[in-house]
This record gives sequence, structure tokens and C-alpha cells, in this order.
Amino acid sequence: MNATLAAVMAILGLTLIKATPLIYAALGGVLSERAGVVNIGLEGILIAGAFTSVVVSGATGNPILGALAGVLAGMLLAAILAYVTTRLAVDQIVAGTGLNIAALAGAAFGLVLVYHQPGASHEVPALGRTGETVLVVLAFVAAGVLHLVLTRTPWGLHVRACGEDPSAADSAGIDALKTRFWAVVIGGAIASLGGVYLSLAELDLYSDGMTAGRGFIALAAVIFGRWTPLGATGAALFFGFFAALQFSLQRAGVPSELLQALPYLAALVALAGFAGRVRAPAADGVPYVRS
Amino acid sequence: MPCWPPLRAVLLALAVVSTCVGCAGKQSASGAIRIGMVTDVGGLGDRSFNDSAYAGLVRAKTDLHVDTTVLQSRSAADYQINMTVLANKEYDEIFAIGFLMARDVTEVAERYPQRHFSIIDAVVDQPNVTSVTFKEEEGSFLAGALAAMTTKTKTIAFLGGIDIPLLRKFEAGYAAGARQIDPSVKVLVKYVGSFEDVASGKELAGVQFSEGADIIYVAAGKAGLGAIDQVKERNGAFIIGVDSDQDAIAPGKILTSMVKRVDIGVFRVSGQAAARKPRPAHLTLGLKEGGVGLTDFRYTKSVVTPAKLAVLAKLRAAIIGGTLVAPSTREELASFKRIPL
Repeated sequence: MNATLAAVMAILGLTLIKATPLIYAALGGVLSERAGVVNIGLEGILIAGAFTSVVVSGATGNPILGALAGVLAGMLLAAILAYVTTRLAVDQIVAGTGLNIAALAGAAFGLVLVYHQPGASHEVPALGRTGETVLVVLAFVAAGVLHLVLTRTPWGLHVRACGEDPSAADSAGIDALKTRFWAVVIGGAIASLGGVYLSLAELDLYSDGMTAGRGFIALAAVIFGRWTPLGATGAALFFGFFAALQFSLQRAGVPSELLQALPYLAALVALAGFAGRVRAPAADGVPYVRS
Repeated sequence: MPCWPPLRAVLLALAVVSTCVGCAGKQSASGAIRIGMVTDVGGLGDRSFNDSAYAGLVRAKTDLHVDTTVLQSRSAADYQINMTVLANKEYDEIFAIGFLMARDVTEVAERYPQRHFSIIDAVVDQPNVTSVTFKEEEGSFLAGALAAMTTKTKTIAFLGGIDIPLLRKFEAGYAAGARQIDPSVKVLVKYVGSFEDVASGKELAGVQFSEGADIIYVAAGKAGLGAIDQVKERNGAFIIGVDSDQDAIAPGKILTSMVKRVDIGVFRVSGQAAARKPRPAHLTLGLKEGGVGLTDFRYTKSVVTPAKLAVLAKLRAAIIGGTLVAPSTREELASFKRIPL
């Protein structure tokens, strides 16, 4: 009985670890999409946060400074996306995809520049267990705060208005382009913490490909969570749980490919179950051009 | 990724054109033999497979005075392009590092019958291709035997990258080695599903430790770096590294590494190329050829006692002598019988 309890606790603990980077990325995605900008570039923002935080922590010896730099890098990347999608009205999917490619290649190139070796960085001073715990807790705090901001503050109302009908928002005196810009940038800051968590809290290095598609899982969590911070957090926990479950179910004799597909199958089933009941913000993904 | 044929033709043509812009003279200035290498997506810096191949190339450059070039592949789409670039530059020997490139080597070798290629970890049946494979199961057998002699919890684990036949050679050899020493030792087996997801590597190693294992044999590329990170936080637990000598990454926490001397394979073929001699069709490197083996335990001497070393030496001799055959598949493992030593 005690062994069962221990196994359950282990899976729940691992669920939190697996879900945390997804929560940050999904929250960033929610804020961005509620303002009307689909952020396909979440993966790239995770990479930027993971890579920059490691480099700065290594250079300064201060992981807190590293984490801050990681957030700044995420904001910067998001600002590029925000600028081209608001001011230049570029197709959001194309811009976000470009962001992902640029971040992956930029980090790969950066490794050679900084560490004179491709593939992976050296080990750097990391945030450690305490930092990991703080970031896990902070993910849930961030979800609560974002929920309150979106539902209870004027700025949150502006953001949602821009996601539904930017033209109406504009005529009501809300600067739709500016609101969208800052929603994407702040979303980038939140999402980048997922990258910081991976490289500097859970681990102490950056390695090419280490984000392993988490930004895209987070996109699914945004939809599965019905574009709400609390829903997206729940979805991230759901994905995290199945990932943790498959880790613990894997054993000799059971096809591991099947188990590794479990989180994705669960997502498919869940999304199919929600079909028809979810509605994206009306102007989500539609570039707004002032006439 | 399947590629629309006309598009692929255009891409290849572009590769050819860009190549010829870069090659004023096709022969190197010194007239030396030129050897090229194409890494797989794991790339240099994995402190493992690709780095080991690169070490062989570096040695060929210094010892054999050949010119060398490495082209890294960012994605599977780069394999054929990179190889075509080197073939067009008339390199004397072109190495494809990894089984992932098997199909591309076949195609490029067909198109360039006058060039010579070598592929690591796969068998390509072409007159101008040397297939270099390793008996990973033999080195893994020794790793499993050492783990079984060292575990205090009677539970050891294997953590692989992706569940494919190549990785099962490591898994089967390891489990058999443990069974040879003590059939009651449990061997837990898990796969990350990726060679790059470092965080998942760390988490899975944590799961295996919490399931009672105190030694994990990790064959998971960069994802294995996560497992090494995990073991740093645990007392009395060990990782067994793979491919390159990883012992120094976490001194004292890595029991040994099952070294796969890709460098020896690369260097051997390079030697033939440098001497302008024909290359063998198939080069298989096992314990006997020094192609696989364990490290020198320089950080774990206190754990790896002379008694254990004596057993390892006996097993090694039995494998080299042919009285002991390490299983290389799960089926062979199922029918593996211990031999009296």
C-alpha cells in the first residue's frame, strides 16, 4: 500500500515538473492570443529564455541575473513578433514560424561563439532546488494573476476587446495596435520563464533541441484550455500528468513507442471532446490594419 | 521527410552550384588526400557519438597528414545535400556518421560511383561504401556484469534514447551481462523517446532511481546529459556512460563508460584512404578489435575492486575467444544462458 502511495506521489511530483514549462509557455500564448495575435513562436521564446539565461549565468556567475536576462531575451523576441504582426500586419503564422527557426539557429550559432563547441553549453551556476521550487510555485501564481488581470482590470478588458474586434476597440479609444504589442511582449516574458526553468532550474546547461517541442504542446494547451489562463494551466497539468504516467508505466515488454504517444493521444481525445464547444477570440490570428 | 522530387532536384542542383563557387581548385593545394565527414543531427558537442567520430578525423589529420572537413547536419534534409557537396568537391573518402544516413548514403553512392563513402552503424550494400559497425552488445555485456557486481539494491537500469534495433544491442548485452553475474538482479528498461530532450532524460533517470535502481546505463545521446545531472544529486548511485569516455563529466559518479571507438573505425578507414588502398566492404569492431570496451575506471577505483576486474577480464576473454556470445536482440537475450566461468 505504501509503495502504491509512493508511486502515486512520484507521478504527481513529476507532473508538476513536466507541467511547469508548459504552463509558462501556455500562459504567454493565452495573453498573446486573447489580444488577437497567435503566437506560434512560443517554442522559439522557450529557446531564447533557455539559451540566454545559461550564457548570462555562466558569464556573470549569477543565476538570478541569468534568469532575468532569459526573460529579457524572451521579451525581445516577442517584441519582434509583436512589431511585425501589429505595425507591419505580417501573417502571424509565418512570423511565428520564422521566430522559431531564428531562435533555434541563433542558439546553435551562439553556442559556437560563446563556448567554441557546437551542440551543448558547459555547466553553469544554476538556480538549484530552491529556484526550481520557486519557479514551479510562481507558475501557478502567474496563472492566477493573469486570470485576474484579464477578467478584472481595464487593461485586461482592452486586451480581450482587441482579440474580439480591434476595430471597435480602436474606435472606443483603445489603441489596438499598442495593446496587442504589449500583450505579446508581456506574454513573451512569461513564456520565456518556461525556458529558464528547463535550462537553469531543472538543469544547468543549454543543449540544442532541449525544448523538444514543448512550445507546440503549450499551443495545444492554450486551445484545450479554451484561451483562459486557468484552463491552459489545467491543460498543461493534464499533459504533464500523462507524460509522467508514461515515464512510470514504461518497462521491459511494453512497447515504449505506444506509451510515449500517450500524452498526445490524450490531447487528441480531449480536443475532439471539446470540438464545437471551444471558441477562439474572434479576431485571433487576424492582422489588424487601421483604415 | 519526403521531399517533392522536382524540389529535391532543385535543391541538389543548388548545392552543386554553391559548391562549385567555393571550389576554385578541386584538388587541395598540397595534393593531399582529402577526407570529409557529415555528422548526424546529434552534431558535434554531444560528448558522445559524433564527437568520437570527430576525434578519429582529427587524428587522421595529424597522423596521416590528410585534409579534413566536417559538415554538420541541422536536419535530416541536410544529409544528402552535405554528402553531395563533398562528393562534388571530389573528396577521397566521405564519412556519414550514423545509421540515420543509411538511405541517403545509398542514393548518393549510386550517383557518384567514382567516390568512396563510409557509413557508421549501418550496413549499406554498395561497391563504393564501407559499412562500419560495432559489437555494442559485447561492451554492454561487460557494463552489465560490472553493474550487477556493484549494485547494492539488486536493481539496475537501462535508459535508451529511442527504441530502435541499434539501441536494443546495448540493452540486450547489458541485461545479459547482469544475468551472467546474478540472475536475481532486476534490470529496469526505459526509453526517453528522444536523443535531445535533456530534461526528460533527467526525469526518467529520477524515476528509475526511485524505482530502486542504483546504477543506470544511459545510451541516449544528449538526453543522457540529463541523467548525469540527476546522478550528481544522489549518493551511492552511478551512471554508466556511453560512446565517448564520459567519466570526467561527473567524476566518481560515472562508474565507467561503454566506449564505442567510432574514432578507431574512422581512423582505420582513413588510413586505407590515405594509402590509396581499397577499403573493406564491412568493418566490424568488437572487443577483439578494440572497437568497444570499458574505460579505465580512473575515478571509481575504490568501487571497481581487483576482484571485479578479474571477473571482467575473464568475461572479456570468453567473448574474444568465442565461448561467450553476447546477445544483440531481445530475442537472443530471452534465450541467453549463463556460462560457467
